[in-house]
Amino acid sequence: MFTVLKWVFWATFWTLVVAVFHYTLPQVDIVRVTDTYEKRIDPGENSLFWAQADVGSDGTMANRDVFFIQTRRVKGDVMVYRNEDTGWGWPPYFKFDTSNLQAEAADAKSTNEAPRYFALKHYGWRNEFFTIFPNAISLRQVEGPEASKGIPFLNIFIITLFAAISWAIWVRWRRFRMARIDPTLEAIEDDMAERRGAVRRWFGTWKKKT
Amino acid sequence: MIGFIRLFIMLFVALTVIYVSLSFYSRAVRRSKLKKKWHDGKQLVDRDTFVQRGLERYDGSIRRKLILGVYVVPVVVIAVIIYLTNFT
Repeated sequence: MFTVLKWVFWATFWTLVVAVFHYTLPQVDIVRVTDTYEKRIDPGENSLFWAQADVGSDGTMANRDVFFIQTRRVKGDVMVYRNEDTGWGWPPYFKFDTSNLQAEAADAKSTNEAPRYFALKHYGWRNEFFTIFPNAISLRQVEGPEASKGIPFLNIFIITLFAAISWAIWVRWRRFRMARIDPTLEAIEDDMAERRGAVRRWFGTWKKKT
Repeated sequence: MIGFIRLFIMLFVALTVIYVSLSFYSRAVRRSKLKKKWHDGKQLVDRDTFVQRGLERYDGSIRRKLILGVYVVPVVVIAVIIYLTNFT
């Protein structure tokens, strides 16, 4: 039973780690920008997935206006991105130029007849059930819908670094366990076995001697 | 402004912990290396004096001062991120 519990715990832990990385690390989409707008939003249950007010503004207001960028992805579906400052907070993109990016997005609008394609770097998830949007970070014009997204060097580096650190911690934990904890547990078990033998012998002294 | 201050206070505390731990660890490694060097060498003085002198030389060395790089590196990384995100 404890094995099952252990597996459930570690599975949950690693799922959470993978989810955090998938949400936070940057991804690129090749899109055609169709429109930009601004909308007042009231973060409620989903406030974890909204950033904060632009750096320098009042951060305590419950609802605020947020920029959005509407696009059609080359995959064929539509995608709506929000465009918010991450400021000095998490994730550490240090994005302060939201309004500039919005201006670039407005300039990037094109129609289906005369399309212009852009590589939009973003992080976050789109989930209609919670009304959360990925956060656009930057826009870069590309030649066409077949343009490559590029190799995600930063993602590779961060994930490799994390894997290395986890492995280092695990190895040190194993060494510590073998050096300290296992001998102690064995000593306890030997101790208990000895005492069980002693109790049984004491019970034996009460039996009738035939 | 408050966000900036908060970030840099947290960073300062975390980096100070790392700096102090790294300093102690580095000095302990230097001490054990000195002991081994004494053991393998001519042993003109007793071990404690040898180790003490070696540690004093280490305390003034460049290697020790390089550990301050722990403060420099994250600030440089943040500056580079800010430049790449906002100005390209």
